[in-house]
Order: sequence, then C-alpha cells, then structure tokens
Amino acid sequence: MVQPRFLGRTGTAMDDLLNDFLAETAEILAEAGGAIVAWEADPADRAQLDAIFRLVHTIKGSSGFLALPRVTALSHAAEDALDQVRRGNRTANAALVTGVLGILDRLNELCAVLGQGGAEPAGDDRDVIGALSGQGASGDASFEVAGVPLRRDDDFGAELQSWRSIRVPLPLLDSVMTGVTDIVLARNEFARMLRESGADLSLIASFDRLSDSIAGMRQSVSQMRMQRIDKLFAPLPRIVRDLAQDLGKKIAFQTSGGEVELDREMMENIRDPLIHIVRNAIDHGIEPLEDRVAAGKDITATITVSARQSGNQIEIEVRDDGRGLSPDTLVAKAIASRLVTATEARGLGPKERLDLIFRPGFSTAARITSISGRGVGMDIVKANVEKIGGVVELRNEEGRGLTILLRVPMTLTIISGLMVRAAGQYFAIPRGAVREILLESGDTVRIDQLGGGELATVRGEQFPLLRLEHVLGRECDAADDSDDRALVIVRPGQGQSYALSVAAIHDHEELVIKPAAPMIMATGLYAGTTLPDNGRPVLLLDVQGLLAAAAIDASEAGRSHNRTAEAEAEATAARNVAQLLLFRDTNTRLRGVRLSVIERVEEVPVSAFFESAGRVQARIGDDIFAVHAATLPDGDGTLKLLRLHDGHAVLCYPIAEVIDIVRLPDAVQPSAAPGLIAGVALVGGDPVELIDPFWLMEQYAAGAAGPALRQPVCRLADDPDGWGDNFLAPILRNAGYRVISGNEASDEAPDVLLCVDDGEGCAHAGDAVPVIRLRASVAAAGPEDETVYRYDRQALLDAMRRSVGGEGA
Amino acid sequence: MMEKLYLIARIADTRVALRSRAINSVVTVGTPVEVPAAPPHVAGLFALRSRVFTLIDPHVVIGLPAVPVAPGQRVIVVEVAEHGYALLADEIEDVCFIEAAETRIAGKLLPGWARVADAMIEHDGASLLVVDPSNFITLPALKAA
Repeated sequence: MVQPRFLGRTGTAMDDLLNDFLAETAEILAEAGGAIVAWEADPADRAQLDAIFRLVHTIKGSSGFLALPRVTALSHAAEDALDQVRRGNRTANAALVTGVLGILDRLNELCAVLGQGGAEPAGDDRDVIGALSGQGASGDASFEVAGVPLRRDDDFGAELQSWRSIRVPLPLLDSVMTGVTDIVLARNEFARMLRESGADLSLIASFDRLSDSIAGMRQSVSQMRMQRIDKLFAPLPRIVRDLAQDLGKKIAFQTSGGEVELDREMMENIRDPLIHIVRNAIDHGIEPLEDRVAAGKDITATITVSARQSGNQIEIEVRDDGRGLSPDTLVAKAIASRLVTATEARGLGPKERLDLIFRPGFSTAARITSISGRGVGMDIVKANVEKIGGVVELRNEEGRGLTILLRVPMTLTIISGLMVRAAGQYFAIPRGAVREILLESGDTVRIDQLGGGELATVRGEQFPLLRLEHVLGRECDAADDSDDRALVIVRPGQGQSYALSVAAIHDHEELVIKPAAPMIMATGLYAGTTLPDNGRPVLLLDVQGLLAAAAIDASEAGRSHNRTAEAEAEATAARNVAQLLLFRDTNTRLRGVRLSVIERVEEVPVSAFFESAGRVQARIGDDIFAVHAATLPDGDGTLKLLRLHDGHAVLCYPIAEVIDIVRLPDAVQPSAAPGLIAGVALVGGDPVELIDPFWLMEQYAAGAAGPALRQPVCRLADDPDGWGDNFLAPILRNAGYRVISGNEASDEAPDVLLCVDDGEGCAHAGDAVPVIRLRASVAAAGPEDETVYRYDRQALLDAMRRSVGGEGA
Repeated sequence: MMEKLYLIARIADTRVALRSRAINSVVTVGTPVEVPAAPPHVAGLFALRSRVFTLIDPHVVIGLPAVPVAPGQRVIVVEVAEHGYALLADEIEDVCFIEAAETRIAGKLLPGWARVADAMIEHDGASLLVVDPSNFITLPALKAA
C-alpha cells in the first residue's frame, strides 16, 4: 500500500534518472488533472492555463532527455494545443479539455508500464493526439510551431521555484527515520552508562548538548515525513468532473485547508477511503437535476472537501448538499438484504439506523452502479480509517445533505500511552481509554469479593474488577508491594467501563505503535508493540480484548452510580490528562497555557504584522488572525505565535520561546480578578502564570468573528451640517469601519446606523439595523438615555463594537 | 545462485540446512520481553535497530519442551509476511553454497520435523534436513492447545 506506484527499479544511473522522472511525472499528472478541470470552469483564468502549460512543458523536457519518444510526442501535442490557446489562436472548450485529459491518461498508462518494464512500450498514440488537434484543425494548420516554442519569462520563474526543494526516494527517508530512532536508543543507553559510571560534569554537559541536537534532529525527521494534504486532494477535481459528466449532474467542487500537513504514510491510508466517499456523494448523494429542481435546490450541487488540524488530529470533512441519508430507506434496504431482521430494526435508534451503512455487505447488496457499489462499501472505508486509529462520523440532514467526517491522527499510530506494570513487566494502555487512575488502597475505593469475582466501588460507582495478571494468565510478582497496586478505570467504548488492577503505574509516554506478529495479535489481548526510549519492547494492551478474554459484561447500564460522583470523576480525569504548555512570554515572564487550546505554534516574520481596526493582526498564509499585542512588533526577523483555537475563532499570542510541555499542576492559586492571568501554579518549583484562554478569547471574540475581515458598514444619518462627515467619519474609518454618509445614495445594507443629530425620529431607522444615537450635550438626559455624547470617542467606539459584534457573531 | 545458499545450524538439537532466501542476519539477543498468553513457541520480544522482533523457539514447534533463552544467545533473523522473527538456534555453523540437489526425504521423521522439513540435502558427507525458516513461524493448531 505504501509502495509508490512507479518506483519499480533501482540500480544504474539511468534507472535513477528514470525513477526520478516517473515520480515527478506522476505528481505532475495528478496536479495537472485538477488544474485543467479548474481551468475548464473558468477558461479566462490565464494563471491556471499558464500553470498547466508549464506542467506539460516539464514532462516534455524531461522525456526528451530520457529518449522516450511516445511521451515526448504526447506531451508535445498537449503543450502545442495549450500554447495555441495562450496565443489566442484557439478557444478553450470542453472538447479541448477532454482531449488534453485524454493525453494525460495515456501518459499515465505509459508511465505505469515504464515503471514495471523500464522501457517505453511500442504503440500508437495518433488516436488521442488526433482527438486533440482534430477540433481546431482549420486554425492549427496555418499556425505550425516549429520545434520548441519560445519560452516566456513567466516559465522561467516557475522553474526556479522547483529548485527550492529536492526529491528524495521514500525508502531513503524511511531509513533516515530508522537511523535517527536508533541514535536515540543508543543515546539513552549511553546516558544510563554515563550516570552509572559517575562521569564528571563537563562530560555530562557536553553529552547533554549532543543529546539536545539529537532530539532536534528527531523532530526535523518526523517533519520530513509530513506532506501537505493538497497532494491528497489533487486527483479529486478530475474524478468529480468525469463522474458528474457520466451521470449528467452539475457539481461545483471545492477544497480547502490544503496547507494542513499529514504524515505521508497516513495519507496513503486515507486516499482510497476519501475517493470512495467522494464518489459515493456524487453517485448516491447528489440527486438528478430534475429532483433538485423539484426540491427547490440550485441545480448545481456543491461538494466540499476540507481539512483542518485540531490538536494532534486531522479532520477531513466531505460535505455535499444532496439528499442526505434516509434512515427509513436504510432500514428497509438492510432488511431486504438480510443484514438485520425486522424485529432488530425496530429496536434501532436514529444513530444506529444511519450506522447501518457501515455494515459489511450493505452497499453491495443494493443497486449496483458502474460508479460506486462495486463491492467496496462504507464498511471498508470505516475499517481502513479505524486501522490507522481514526474514526468516521456521519452528520446527516435528510433532504439537505450529508457530511462525512474522517478524523485521523496526524502521524501514524503515535499514541499517548500509560505505562503500567504487572507480573514483573511493563504494558502500555492507550491513554484515550483511561478515565481515572486510583490507588487500590485509597479511601475512595472499596473492593468486594463476590462469588469468585471482584467488584470495585469508586465513590458509589461500581465497576467489574479485572486483575491484569489473571487475564494474562500470570502470577503476581512477589517483588511488587501490594500497597502500590493501582486501579485504572478503563472505558473501552461508549457505555462500557471496568477497573483494571495493575501492580504499579509507571508514567505516560508518546508511543509509536507497530502491529505485533499475527500469532500475538491472535491472542486478542494486545493491540500492538512499541519501543519506548529504554529500548525494551512493550506490549500495548487491547482494552476491549481484555474484556472479551475475561468474559465480563462491562456495560454500564443498570449499574448503580451517582451522577455527582461521576461528574467529579470526569473532572478528575480531565485534570489528569490536562497538559500545560510552558513558554516564556515576550515580557520574559514564565507562563503556561493549556495545551488543548493551542492549535499550533507558528513562526511568523515581523513583516506579516499590521495594524487594522485598532488592533494588531497577522497575515499567515491566506488568512488574517487577531494578535494579542498592544503595539506592532518592531525590528525584523520572526516572532513565535501560539495559535489559540476555541472551535470558532483563532487568536495569536506572541511568545518569546516554548519551554516545555508539563502536566497541569493540581494546585493553582487563582487570581483575584478575571484577566489575562487565571492564576499561578508551581511547576518544578518555579511559579508559572497560567493564561486564561477564556478571558483572552473573550477580548477578541467580536473581532475574530469574520476571518475574512469584511469591514462593517456604518451609515451616517441626520447629518445636516456635515459634522459626521468631517469629524466622525475619519475616526470610524480608522477603527475599521466603512462609512457611508447620509447624502450618498447606496443600496448596501449598513451594519449600524449612526444618528448624528439627536432628533427623536431618525428617519433611516430600519428594523434589523442597530441604531446608535449621538447627543450634543455632555450630560445624559436621564438614566434611560441610551444616546452617546458625540465627543466621547471610547463610548462611541464601544457602542459601535457592541452593535456590530452582536450582529456578526 | 541464491537458491544454493544455505545456513547450516543446529536447531532444536538437529543439524539443518536453512534456505537463506528469507534470512536477514544472525544476531545475539539479551533477555527477551515475555508475551503472556501467547502461543508456547513465542519465546518473547526483543528490539533490534528500532524494530521489534518476535522470538520463536523451534524446540516447541518440533514438539520438544521449551528451552530458556540464555543472554547472548545467537538467533537467526528472518522476515515472514512483513513481520520480523528470530529463531533461537543452538549453534550456528556456517553459510555455504551447496551444489548438491535437494532430494525427497527418505525415512521416517518425528511428526514435528516431518511438518517443517521440506527435503534433504547432502553436505560434507552428512545428510541434512532442508528447512524453510518460515515453517517454524506457524504452529499446528493441535500443538497450540
């Protein structure tokens, strides 16, 4: 699966060249397909056309060098046709686009053969070349281009760009990764030996320097494996176009979030599921044209694929505005294909009905079309995504569309694991399944022996108790102190929980999980193996499998438990997992913020900062974000930003440096008044000011509502003497508003209406538009008077912000 | 030529010629990590160059009692179906080309050996059983019980 398609042979220099060419061409072809479809939608888009031209030109150039006559002829034909369009001798139409796509397909086939055999197969490409040139034959004949067409300046620019990156074979990248991991293991071993030998301080200090650079290198290597998710999206426009054409549907396809990065191995694993979901949406989700008209929808359907990073997970969302899923139809279909009985079906809740599409055999049993339903069902999609530790979610709006959400870890199978000890050896438990950790001898725990079984009662809530040694068929290690025994409350799935008793809790670590050998997986007790820093392999426990092995019903239904106790436990668990990012603030203070509110840490050049609407903002990529800073940073160089994310808005917090990630201390001395600092806690003996993200986001909530930063429109009314125009408007413009004066005729609906003259009847008062009235006198007329004194700048701007913010949020 | 290359070793008290195709290397191991509840021929896990390998005790596969792993013991690292395994070897003798052809096994073997041995081969005036290392990886169902 990981195997790149064309990288078949290695060896001689020629083979290396060929391999490079094939890898590059595969990439170009994928990119060109999408670009051409986008260009077809908007033939006037000159930049797009130039981009495609350059891509095809690159293939032609490299193939000529490698003496691949068929590839050269094909790419030449495509380049030629595109050049005619560039010169205005030919117009872009569907026939031309189909012709170029035909050539790209043929190139793809040729490359596949080349990758296997290493030689270009004999064959005739006149059919596809003819199809392309045939359409505009009359115009072309008179305009023969001899040899290589003249290059334009903009072509050179693109080639210079490509020099900034190099191509590295994936196996090499993997071997670097393995190499670095080995270095880390060796370092740890060495560190242990140094400590034991009682080496002197200068030796240890220089070893620590080495150690730090190894850690940095490990970080860089894992970043090398990251790729922009654009790559995954590249083939989609083409797929959508072809399918929509086959099915006679009109579809507008959009992608966003292409800059999100993902481990390349991860990417391989979600490619097929993603394509399948998109195909499904076109085939089953989007209604035929007439149905859309009947439903009062736009005949052009919309499919959006977007990616976003959330913590160390990536969310990929495929949204269509088709008919959505009908639970009743799903049930009928499931009964018809004998997946469930009618009795079972009646017992299904709304969510379970939707989940029927994930049952094996569901999609194939129904209507089989040429597009989807070829034996690859949603069950496979789900299995593939779950295999890499991801989840699939459905958000259905019947009649209005379906959204499928894939949530996958950012890097392959790195999980946070809790290390526990039992029977004298270590095991890892996935941190996500752990609800709470308690000492068995603690006051809140009671353990009862019941007819050969054991039951743990924690603050009134009962859990079946499993002793890890018993489940694994081992004896308890005599060396372990029974007072140290700990209970891990495990929640393997929704509505299930049990208490797992272990000899001791060690710590938690980020673990790279690899599948174990089949005979070990077959025990059902383990989910994989991992290699922590000490170099001794550790088995990852399968928390669901342990249950099955112990033959225990862990369902929470019908168990006695009390709500407040559970809430408390939940809070304790939340505190257990909360991690704190320690950083040095720009004012050199040591501060911390909960790791979970940080989307990412960004390094931004000072030139990207600007001031607008009275606050500092930063441009990152194509977006503009609010920055928590009173003044623009000066100097040049770069500034580190923490990107805080509350699910809706992003706020950037400038810092000097990131120091560490630590567990959030339990004891926090809260601040007296709400503000930037929520409280102070001790971390490793040093006081750390904890940032209050709630307060922080609150300050910027109104401003961040529209990331596009549309300027709110303010209309001045009742401004007979022009005071508003002359005195007020500049201030408002400075604060980021667009001002329309009362005399100006404009159809645009204002966001706020300012009545400059405090006459009672503000003639323009609309229903939905907030109105702010100004008064000329300093003193208010009474307690009910909501007017604002016209020279009270702050009060006026506050009132504006309230009105507009209320509108926009 | 690769087909003619064999690793001669003493495994489960028997001299055998292992087909070298699947063999990666011969290394020494320290104390392996046990795998509770695993099939009896799994002698544990150990790490080698940041990979985790599963240690197999051929004695058990043949039907003999398991032997404890001595630190520093040599093991034969093989790759089967994209997983790394290591076979505990009593003794590694040599890697050599054997020109003689593999012949059908004559005579009756213990049931365990009959299951894993593919053929016989003549080398240095002795007959050796020819074994594909991957045959040691799976355990017959009845033995696992």
